Amino acid sequence: MTATRPPLPWALLAFWLRRTLPLWGATALMIFLVQIAVCGIVHDNEHVKAFLSMLKFLPGIVKTALGGEALQLGNVTGLLAMGYQHPLVLTLYMLFAVAVPTGLLAGQVQQGTMELILSRPTTKTQVYVCAAVVTVLGMAGLVAVMFLGTAAGTRAYTFDEHVALDPFLRAAVVAGLAASTVGAITLLAAASFRRRGTAVGVTAGFLVVNYAVAVIAPWWPWLEPVTPFSLFYYIDLTAAFLGRAGPVSDMAVLGSVLVVSAVAGGVIWQRRDLPL
Amino acid sequence: MDTLEIRSLTKWYGSTRGVEDVTFAIERGEVFGYLGPNGSGKTTTLRCILGLLRPTRGEVRVLGQPVRPGRATHHARIGYLPGDFRIWPQLKARSALGVLAALGGPDRKTRVRREEIAERIGLNLDRPVGDLSKGNRQKVGVVFAFQHQPDLLILDEPTAGLDPLVRQIVLEMIREAAAAGATVLLSSHDLSEVSAACGRAGILREGRLVELAPISRIVQQGHRRLRVWLKEGEQVPAVPADPLPGVQVVQRGPGVLEIAYEGTADVVLRWVSQLPVDRIATPETSLEEAFIQYYTTPTKCRTTSGGDRP
Repeated sequence: MTATRPPLPWALLAFWLRRTLPLWGATALMIFLVQIAVCGIVHDNEHVKAFLSMLKFLPGIVKTALGGEALQLGNVTGLLAMGYQHPLVLTLYMLFAVAVPTGLLAGQVQQGTMELILSRPTTKTQVYVCAAVVTVLGMAGLVAVMFLGTAAGTRAYTFDEHVALDPFLRAAVVAGLAASTVGAITLLAAASFRRRGTAVGVTAGFLVVNYAVAVIAPWWPWLEPVTPFSLFYYIDLTAAFLGRAGPVSDMAVLGSVLVVSAVAGGVIWQRRDLPL
Repeated sequence: MDTLEIRSLTKWYGSTRGVEDVTFAIERGEVFGYLGPNGSGKTTTLRCILGLLRPTRGEVRVLGQPVRPGRATHHARIGYLPGDFRIWPQLKARSALGVLAALGGPDRKTRVRREEIAERIGLNLDRPVGDLSKGNRQKVGVVFAFQHQPDLLILDEPTAGLDPLVRQIVLEMIREAAAAGATVLLSSHDLSEVSAACGRAGILREGRLVELAPISRIVQQGHRRLRVWLKEGEQVPAVPADPLPGVQVVQRGPGVLEIAYEGTADVVLRWVSQLPVDRIATPETSLEEAFIQYYTTPTKCRTTSGGDRP
C-alpha cells in the first residue's frame, strides 16, 4: 500500500474564496466608485482647467499625496490617473493584500482550524498554494474592477479630449503586480508567524517604511541612496501611462520580489511546526 | 501489520522536551489508551503521528507508510479529534463539517454518516457552531472524527464536556469502530473512559513512556487493598510498621480498617488473622489509583518493549 499525494483541495480553495468574497466585494466596490468619482470630477472642464493651473504651483510632495506624479502629465489622462495612485485606493489594495493571506494562514493557525484542515488529506504546500491563489485572484479581480471603473466612468461622462483606455490597462497591470508583490510579502509574514496580529504588524510596518521612503526621499537627499530598496520605487504608474519602457525593468524587480517572497513563505510554511 | 508504529519518537521544542524515545505499536482493531497528565507529551505524540510536527528523532509509520511531516500521509483514512476542538464559529455545524469532509473528496456516504452520527448523539447540525454549548461543540468534534469512517482514529479527550449519556454513546462508537476493524488511539486523562474502552494503554510521564501494558496488568501493578471489618465493639488497632513495611492505612473508621499493600498478601493476612475479624473484602484497585502511583513513585521507563497485548 502506498501513500499517494492528495489531489489539490478544490473544496478548501472554494471555501476560502467564498469567505474572502465579502471583503473583496466591499474593496472592489470602493475602488470602482473612486474611479467613477474621479471621472465625474475630471469631466467638468472649468474645474479641471482651474485645477491643472493650480497644480503648477504645488510642490511635488503635495502632488504625490494628491495622486502621484501622474498629475504631472498635465492632461485629462493624468488627472484620471489620480484614481490609480490615490492614497485611498493604495490603502484599499494594501488592506486586501494584508488581510487575506494573514487571515488564511496565521489567522487559521491562531483559531485552531488549521489543525483540522491539515488533519485531512491536504498537504501544507497545498494549503499555502490555496492561500496564494486566493490572494492573487483577489488582486487580479481588484485591478480588473479598477480598470472597469475607469472604462465605465469615461463612458458615463463626456470629456473635451479623447481618453484612450490602453494606458489605464497598462497602469492597472503594474498596479496589480505591485499589489500582488505586497500580497506575496504578506504571505511570507503569514507563513512565518503564528499570530495574525504579528504578521499584519510586520507587513504594515514594512509597507509604511517603504512608502515613507518613496515619498520623502525626493525631498531629503540623505534618504536618496536607500530609495532603490523601497518597493514603491518600482511602482511607476506615470511611466505606464506614458507607455515608456521603464516599467518593464521595474516590473521585473517587482516580479522577482513576488516570486522570492512567495517561495520563501512556502518553504518556511512547509518546514515549520504547525500549530505551535 | 500494525496500523500505527512509533519508534524512538523524540520531539524537542528548543530546549523543552515534548516526548523522548517513545516506542509503541497498535494493531488493527485495537483500542489503545494513551495516558498522562497535562504537559506529559500526549498531544505532541498525536501531532507527530499526523505530521503536524516534525520529530527531532525517531519514526512514525501509519498503515505501513512512514509519516512525512506536512505530506498528509494517509490522512483520508485518519479520523482526528484534537483536545481543543475549535471550528469556524460563524458556520453552521453541517457546513463546517461539510467543508472539512470535502477535503477528502466528495462522498455521499460521508454525508449520510454525518447525519446518522449527529442524530445518534443528539446534535443539531443546523445551528452555527458559535451558538453551541461546549458539550455540543465537542459533539461536532466527534462527528468530525467519525464521519468518514476512518481506519485509524486519533482521539484526544473525546468525551470531555459531554453528558454521561452521550459519553456512553461515544464510547460505544469507539468500540463499534474497533470491532469493525478500525484502530483507535485514545489519549486521555479520564481514566474511567480509558478503562471502559481500551484493552491496552501506555502511560507517559515527563515525555517518557513509563508503562505499556494491558489495562488489567496496569491495575494489578498498583497497590492492592484489603478492607477488614472487626467484630462489634472491637477497637481498630494501629498498623505496626515493623512487620508490615509499605503498608498504608487508606481508611480508618469505627470497626473498619482499609489498608493498601504491595506484593503478596501473606504478611498482611498473617497480621490480620490475629485480629477479631468479622469479615474481609479485597476492593479492586482502579486504574485511577494505579495511574496516580506512576506519578508518586520514581520514574521507571518502558521505552523499548511493545507491551504484551491482552
